Amino acid sequence: MQNCLQGLLFRLTCLWVACLLSSLGLQAAEPPRAVMPERHRALLSQHCQGCHGEEKQKGKFRVDDLPLQIADAHTAERWQKVLNAINSGEMPPEEEKQPEARVKTDFLDDLSNVMVAARKSLGDQHGVIALRRLNRREYHNTLRDLLGVEMDVSELPSDTGGTRFDTVGASLFVTSNQIEQYEALGFEALEEAFSEYSRTVVPKKFHLEMETLQRVFLKRNKEALDARERAGRWVAAVDAAAKRPENAAKVAELRKIAKNDDALRYHWKKIPGAPSPVEFGFEKTSEVNPALIYLYRDKPEFIRYDEYYQKLPLLDQGIFLTVPSRVAGGNGVTAVPGFSIPPDFPPGEYMVRLRVGASPATSPQRRFLEFGLKGSLGQSTPALSTHHVTGTLEAPQILEIPFTFTRKNADRGHRNLFVRERGIGDPNRSEQMLSEGIKRNGFGPEAVIWVDWMEIEPKAAVTRITASGIRALGIPLNDDGDKFSAEQLRGALERFVVEAYRGVKAPAGLVDRLVNIYDSRKSIGDKHREALKHTLAAVLSSPRFLYRAEPEGNASQRRLDGFELAVRLSYFLRGGPPDETLRALAASGELLNQRVLLEQTDRLLSHPDAVQFMQPFLTQWLGLDRLDLFQFSKALFPRFDDAAKSAARQEVHETFAYLLRANAPITDLLNADYALLNGVLADYYGFQGIAGDAFRKVKLPADSPRGGLLGMAAITAMGSNGQRSNPVERGAWVLRKLLNEPPPPAPANVPEIARLAGKLLTTRERLQAHQESPQCANCHRKIDPFGFGLENFDAAGQWRLTDFYQSLDEAGRPDPKAKKTWVIEAAAVIHNGPAFKDYFEMRNIIASKKEAFAKGFSSALIEYALGRPCGFSDDALIERMVNQARERGYASRDFVRSLVLSKEFQTK
Amino acid sequence: MNTPLNRRHFLRTATSLIALPALESLGFQRFASAASASAARIRPKRMIFLGFGWGVTQESWYPSLGQKGSSYALPAGLEPLARHKADFTIVQGLTNKHNGNGHYGSTFWLTGANEFGEPGQSFHNSISADQVAAAHLGKDTRFDSFVLDCGAAAGPSGHGQGLSLSWDGRGKPMSGPKNPVEAFHRLFARETASIEQQKAMLIQKRSVLDNAIENARDLQRGLSTADNDKLDEYFQGIRDIEARLSRDEKWLGVPRPVPGISEPKAGLGGYEEIKLMYDIMAAALQTDSTRVLTYRQPVSTLLTSLDVKMDAHTMSHYPGKGPEYLEASEKRDRAQSALLAGLLDKLKAAKEPDGTSLFDHTTVVYGSNIRTGHCLDNCPTIVAGRGAGVKLGQNLVVAKDTPLCNAWLTLLRGSGVPATSHGDSTGVVNELLA
Repeated sequence: MQNCLQGLLFRLTCLWVACLLSSLGLQAAEPPRAVMPERHRALLSQHCQGCHGEEKQKGKFRVDDLPLQIADAHTAERWQKVLNAINSGEMPPEEEKQPEARVKTDFLDDLSNVMVAARKSLGDQHGVIALRRLNRREYHNTLRDLLGVEMDVSELPSDTGGTRFDTVGASLFVTSNQIEQYEALGFEALEEAFSEYSRTVVPKKFHLEMETLQRVFLKRNKEALDARERAGRWVAAVDAAAKRPENAAKVAELRKIAKNDDALRYHWKKIPGAPSPVEFGFEKTSEVNPALIYLYRDKPEFIRYDEYYQKLPLLDQGIFLTVPSRVAGGNGVTAVPGFSIPPDFPPGEYMVRLRVGASPATSPQRRFLEFGLKGSLGQSTPALSTHHVTGTLEAPQILEIPFTFTRKNADRGHRNLFVRERGIGDPNRSEQMLSEGIKRNGFGPEAVIWVDWMEIEPKAAVTRITASGIRALGIPLNDDGDKFSAEQLRGALERFVVEAYRGVKAPAGLVDRLVNIYDSRKSIGDKHREALKHTLAAVLSSPRFLYRAEPEGNASQRRLDGFELAVRLSYFLRGGPPDETLRALAASGELLNQRVLLEQTDRLLSHPDAVQFMQPFLTQWLGLDRLDLFQFSKALFPRFDDAAKSAARQEVHETFAYLLRANAPITDLLNADYALLNGVLADYYGFQGIAGDAFRKVKLPADSPRGGLLGMAAITAMGSNGQRSNPVERGAWVLRKLLNEPPPPAPANVPEIARLAGKLLTTRERLQAHQESPQCANCHRKIDPFGFGLENFDAAGQWRLTDFYQSLDEAGRPDPKAKKTWVIEAAAVIHNGPAFKDYFEMRNIIASKKEAFAKGFSSALIEYALGRPCGFSDDALIERMVNQARERGYASRDFVRSLVLSKEFQTK
Repeated sequence: MNTPLNRRHFLRTATSLIALPALESLGFQRFASAASASAARIRPKRMIFLGFGWGVTQESWYPSLGQKGSSYALPAGLEPLARHKADFTIVQGLTNKHNGNGHYGSTFWLTGANEFGEPGQSFHNSISADQVAAAHLGKDTRFDSFVLDCGAAAGPSGHGQGLSLSWDGRGKPMSGPKNPVEAFHRLFARETASIEQQKAMLIQKRSVLDNAIENARDLQRGLSTADNDKLDEYFQGIRDIEARLSRDEKWLGVPRPVPGISEPKAGLGGYEEIKLMYDIMAAALQTDSTRVLTYRQPVSTLLTSLDVKMDAHTMSHYPGKGPEYLEASEKRDRAQSALLAGLLDKLKAAKEPDGTSLFDHTTVVYGSNIRTGHCLDNCPTIVAGRGAGVKLGQNLVVAKDTPLCNAWLTLLRGSGVPATSHGDSTGVVNELLA
C-alpha cells in the first residue's frame, strides 16, 4: 500500500510540475466546442432560406449566413431562435413543405446539444474561481468550530436548489438582509457560547425507569377489569331478581316498555329485590343510568386487551409498547412513552440510551421502534430515527441513539423525547393494526417491544468551552471579571480574529476599530460581557470571516500559501475551517509538501467529519433531495414509510462512505454484488437475517436486482411521483448521472401530449407518443429506453412483475371497471446502441461505461471542490483524474487525491 | 478613520443616492386628515407585483382569444374574480423572449434579462420593474420597496433562481421577509426604546457598519478584479443597510403606523399564508409604509393546504396525465384567483383621505413567466387597479410575443415613473392604456 501511494504521489507530482510548466508557456488554442455539423445546412437551405435568406429576410432574420461554429453570444442567440422556432412548431409554417421527420429529429438533436455546448463554452470561467462566501452549511460548521455552538441557520438562504453545487462562488450572493442575519446569528452564537462558558453546573444524566410511567395505567387497567367483573355480578343479580316467580307480573308489565334485557335492567328499582349498582361499587349516577355499567361490560376487546396486558411479564421492571386506539382505550399511555428533557439541559450533543428487548413469537416486521422529539403534532410527529430491536426479553440490548438538541427545540413545547413502535404515528396504520389484531385474537395486536429504561446524557459537556474562539480570548467573559488591562483586551481581540479568520492575522487598524466598538458600547451603558459580545459579533459579520479570500498577489496564477491551501482542503473534505493539525502544518509550511498534503487528504477522508463532505456532495450530485419533493401514497406503498424511506436514502450515503473508506472502485455504483444494508432496509428488500441499525456490507444473491445505484430503492423512488413510476425522469437521470450524457434541458414551448390523458394504456403505449413528433423524439429516443429498463421497480423502489393503470370515475374515485393490468416488458433498444432484454442486461451495459461514469464523477468533484462550474477548459484535468484512477481500478479515493494534488486545486 | 464624515463620504460615492423623506410628506403622514388640499388631490401611485411560479391551466384559465374586449366570458379558473370583472384586464400574447428555462417562472419575469448575456458567466440578470418603480415612488415612505417571499417553499414552486421577484440595479437578487410574522414585524413592530436610545442605537449600528466597510476595504486591496466584483455585493449590502438606517433616522420619532390587522399567527402555510401576506400588503399600502411591493408566493404549500398530495412540478405537467392532475391544477387556479379577489376587495375598501380608494391609485400585476408546463409564451398576466391609467375589464389580445417588458414599461410610465425602456422592451403597449 505504501509503495502504491508513493508511486501515485510521484506520478501526480510530475504531472503537477508538467502542468505548471505548460501553463507558463503559451496555452494552445482550444478546439472549437460548439459546431453544428455541416450536413444540417441542407435543412436550412431547403426549408428556411426561401423566407430567411439573402433576398427575403422575413422578420429581419436570415439563416443563410449563420456560422456553423458558435463562438459568440450573438451567434448563439441566432441559433437559439432557430431552435425555439422549430421546437414550438412555429417554423417551418404549417402550409409549407415540412422536413422529413428523421432529418428534423437529427437536426433538433444536434442543435440542442450544440446549444448546451455553446452555453458551456461561452460561460466557461477558464479556471477563475469567484470569491466564495461560506455557504449556509459551511457557515454553520464554522460557527460550531469557533464557538462550540449548534446554531439554527434555517433562516438563511439554503444556497442549494440551483443547477450548481452550493459551493460555487458565482451563485453565492449576499444581500443586506443576509448581512443583518449574519449579525444577529453571530451575536446569538456568542451569547450561547458565553453562557455555556459561565455555566457552573454541567448536567449529568437523566434516567427514567419506564415502569414508573405505567403505574396509573396499570391501576386503571385493574380497575377496568374489576369494574367489568362487578358489572357482571350486578347484571346477574338483577336478572335473578327478575326471574323470581313473585316478580313475574311486574316484569311482564315492564316488558311492554322494555323490549330486551338491557332495557329491562334500566328499571331495576321497580323490580323487588334487585340491588343498587352502588352496592357493587359503582357511582351513584349509575343508579339512574346503567349504561355506565354496560360500558365496561360491552367493550370486550378493550377489556380483553387490558386482561392480556396485565398478564405480560416484566411489568414491574418496564413497559411494553402498545398500539394506540382512537376509541378510548387504556393502552394509549404505553403507546408513546417518554419524558421531557430536564429544563437545565442546554442545547447540544447528547446520547440517548434505551434498554429494550422484543418478545420472540412475533412477526419480524414489528421489531422496530421509532425515536423522536414531540412537537405540536403530538402522536403523529415524524420520528427522528428508527431502530431495530435485536435484544430479547431474557437478554435485552442497550440502544444508543446520538441526539442533537438544537436551540430551535429548546423551548418547552419541543422537549419531549418519545419512543413508539414503528408505524403507529400514522393513525390509519395503527387503526388497521388494531382491527387486524382484534380479528385474529379478539383483543388486538400483541405487545412486542419491552422497554426497561430510557436516559439522556450530554455527550461531552467539556468540549464547548474549549472551542477555539472562546479559548483564544483568554480574558474573563462575565461582568464581575472586569479586571484586565487595555492591552489584555487588545490581545484577546487579536487572538480571536486570528481564529475567526482561519489563521490570518488581523489587518492593521482592525483591532483599533474593535476596541472602539467595545468602548462605545460601554459608553452607552453596556457591561463588559455585553460590550464584548457586540465587538466580537462585528468580527463574525465581517467579509474576511464570511468569504474565503484568496488575494491575487502579483502573479495572476500563483500557488496558494499554506493557510489558503488548508482552507480549500478543509472546506472541501470537512465542510468547515481547518482543524488544529491543518493549521499547524499550514503555519510551518509543511502542508505545501505534496506528501504531507496527500497524508492530510487521507486523514480527512478517514475522519468522521468527512460526512460533511460526503453528505452534501452526494445529495447534490445525485439530486437526492427529489425524494422529499412529494409524498408516497400510503395506500399503495404502506411499507415505504418514513423509516424505510430514510433507510433507503441512507443506503446511498452509506455506500458512498464505504467506497471512500475502503478505497473501493467508484464504478461499484454502477453494479455490485453487494449492498450496504441495515435491519430496516433488509426487511424492506426482503432479505433475512440482517439485524440492527448499523449498515454493513452484505453479499447479494446472484439474481438480485439490488447492488449499485440502480438497485437502490431511493434512486428508483426518486424517479416517480409517489404513486407511479416515471420512466422519463429515471431515463434522464441515468443519462445525466451514470452515462455523463446529460440530455439538453427540456425545451420551452413544446406542447405536451394531452390526447392520451386518462386513457387505458400501458406506460409504454403512453410514452410511444414521444416518438411521433421530432420535437419530442430527438431527446426521448435517448431517454425513454432506460426508463423502460427500470420499469420493474415500482414507485417505491420494490421489484414488480406487473403494473396497472386505473381510470377515475366521475366522482374521482378509481373505477374498477376501467382497469388495465399488464406484464412489464423491460426490453428496449438504446438509441444508437445495443438492445437489452431486461433490467439485468441493461444494468450490465451501463456498468460497462466505466470511463463515462468516472468522467461525470470527476467533473462533479471538480465543481464541488473548486467552487466553479466545470468547463471545457477542465477537460485536461478530468482526463488526468480518470487516467490516474483507471490504473488503480477506479479506486474512489484516487479521484479525490489527484484532484487535491492538481495544479488547479493548489493555484489561485 | 472611524468618523461620520468618512461614512458620509462613502454614502456619497455610493452608486445610488439615498433619497430622504420630504418634510411635507412627513407632515402628511402624521396628520393625514389635516393634509392640505393639494396633497390630497394627487394621491401617490402604488404598485404590487405578485408572482405565482408554475403557470396556470391553459384550457380553463385564459378567456377565449375570439372574445376580445369587455364582453368576454369569464373562464372557470378566473371565476372567483367575477365580482371584479370590470376592474381587471387580462393581457394575452406577452412573452419574455430571452427566457428559455421552463422552470423559471420568476427569475426573469420582471427583468426581461438574458441569462447568458454576460460572456464568461453562467448567469446574468438585471433590474426588475418593481425596483425601477421603487427608485421613483419610494422616496417618501419608510420602506422604498417591500420585498416578500415564501422561503423554502419557493424552490418547488417553479420560481427559478433568485431570492424574491426583485433584482437590484446590478441584477443581484434581493431578499425580504419570508413569512407573515416576519413581514408584520418589519412593518409594524412598536418601538419601545426612547428617541435618545434609538439615536444611540443608530450610532452603534453605524460604527459596526463603518467597521464592516473598513474590513471590506482591507480585503479589497489584494483581490483580483473578478473577486472584487463579488465583494461588491457585500459593499452594496452595507450601503443598503446604511440607506435604511438613514431612513430610520429621518423617521425617528414618527411612530410606526397601526396596521388595522392583528399580528399574524406563526406556522400557517399555503392558502392561509398567502391570504395573510395579502392582508399585510394592503395594510402596508394603507399606512403608506411603502408604495412598491413584490411577493413571490408559494405553490407547493398552497397545494398541500388544498389537500392536493402531488408535488407542484408534476401538477404543472398535467397534460397527458390522469384527470386528477388536471383537477389539481384547476383547484390551484381557483384558489389563487380567490386569493387575488380578496386582495382586490381590500384595496377597494381601503379609503384614501380624499375619499377615493387605494384601488384607484394602485396597480396590481399578477402572473408568471410560465404559462403551462414548460411553455413560456402567452405568459399569464392580469393587471388590476386604476393606478396606471390602464383600461380595465378587458380581455386584451396583443400582438403575439410582445415583450412582457413592454407591459412593465407601460405600467411604470402610467404610474409616473419616467422610464424610457425596461429590459428588452421595444415600446409601450398602447392598447393597455385607457
